[in-house]
Amino acid sequence: MTAKTTGRAAARQRRRTVITGMGVVAPTGVGADAYWKATEEGVSALGAVTREGCGGLPLAVAGEVTGFDPASLVEERFLVQTDRFSHFAMAAADMALRDAALDAASAGEYGIGVVTAAGSGGGEFGQRELQQLWGSGPRFVGPYQSIAWFYAASTGQISIRGGFKGPCGVVAADEAGGLDAFAHAARGIRGSTAAMVVGATEAPLAPYSIVCQLGYPELSLERDPLRAYLPFTDRACGFVPAEGGAMFVAEEETAAHERGVTARAVVAGHAATFTGSGDWAASREGLARAVRGALDEAGMAPEEVDVVFADALGVPAADRAEALALADALGRHAARVPVTAPKTGTGRAFCGAAALDVACAVLAMEHAVVPPTPNVTDVRDGLDLVTGRARPADLRTALVLSRGLLGSNSALLLRHGADARP
Amino acid sequence: MHTELSYTELAALMERRAGVIVDPADLELQSDTPFADFGLDSLGLLGIVGALENEHGATIPADADACRTPRELLDVVNNVLKARA
Repeated sequence: MTAKTTGRAAARQRRRTVITGMGVVAPTGVGADAYWKATEEGVSALGAVTREGCGGLPLAVAGEVTGFDPASLVEERFLVQTDRFSHFAMAAADMALRDAALDAASAGEYGIGVVTAAGSGGGEFGQRELQQLWGSGPRFVGPYQSIAWFYAASTGQISIRGGFKGPCGVVAADEAGGLDAFAHAARGIRGSTAAMVVGATEAPLAPYSIVCQLGYPELSLERDPLRAYLPFTDRACGFVPAEGGAMFVAEEETAAHERGVTARAVVAGHAATFTGSGDWAASREGLARAVRGALDEAGMAPEEVDVVFADALGVPAADRAEALALADALGRHAARVPVTAPKTGTGRAFCGAAALDVACAVLAMEHAVVPPTPNVTDVRDGLDLVTGRARPADLRTALVLSRGLLGSNSALLLRHGADARP
Repeated sequence: MHTELSYTELAALMERRAGVIVDPADLELQSDTPFADFGLDSLGLLGIVGALENEHGATIPADADACRTPRELLDVVNNVLKARA
């Protein structure tokens, strides 16, 4: 028996985590089907920032979610009591739970936990209340401010709304936390929890939130949507921010099978590192170690990776570090494996960007297609970046990468749903 | 200016401050039913008391936040408003 098969056997003995439901709120579409159609076609939703109060800011281009009607998806009290990022989270969680045919009644109230990642919080809600504070005085600040703008808000509201009393938490680990959330979910499932609602959504396009981002040197202030976010090219000029994200139902493989639901993907491996802010070259080793760690956990060899969803920050030093990290971790396979960054068509919704990439990876494996990297041509950095149009490919394993602006690096390995135990 | 808080006004405040929609007639009929049963949590009640204070320029005793039912709240608030009238 080779080391590889021994590793895989060990991985199989654990309580494995599978994804059985998915809900997407993206600038390119609300709902997994609409999102996938646009993503496969390479549609870009980057455009002028139109959200109220943002007109005078230096940020010109963003990925706004336009097809989302909160009043039709979320109850009135949540519209009043919570921020837009939680509206996204609750709506996406509903879609994922429907997709997985799961609710508290079927799993038992302690059988389902919730973990989300967040890096921006409830900026729109927070700004409104801060304006009350400075415009009218402290007595005019509503009490829901105390919960609505915190990173933990979406986890709490999904838990309350669905009656989920299993392990609940929030990952505040920068953008890469969107991948780390899956490791937290898998941990809950390796314990005694039957299912976890997991993912991330963000709504960082309120004036207050945008002003917070203006300090990032990596932010693209380019005014042409076609040129604003071009990772792995000579014209790379930073990243475009976005809103949206995705929520999932993750559950224990055998329990899902016994429930008669199809595993859409297997969460095979994850690892994370932290290399600090302001030094993108250092993320090379951090990201490479994360990839190796994820492969080790999955008991898999580098050659088994069939597609890479790149972090693709759009900053030359960061893009180079990512390409080198792939070469370090995957060896010669790094030059052969198809790499894609569909987020150039949506922008980066911080933690929500990583969650969207997970959704995209699952859909890509299901459809046996690598979606393209919108707007990008003339790729450098020695990667086989899929551009122009989608590329058909038999995809059994997808590697999703994410880095935070402040130094977190994460890698998540997903396997095709057919890899789940029959 | 109204010096007394009515069930109609309370229902409007519940909707505006907490997104809890309730028929004013039901609120009056079930005035001894806990706020929680109408879907109003303690933060919602706190916001309603704050809004009443801002609207009437009055200080409402801290125990108003602890009122469990619509009738209890109306009693506390209207005692304050009447004393000022």
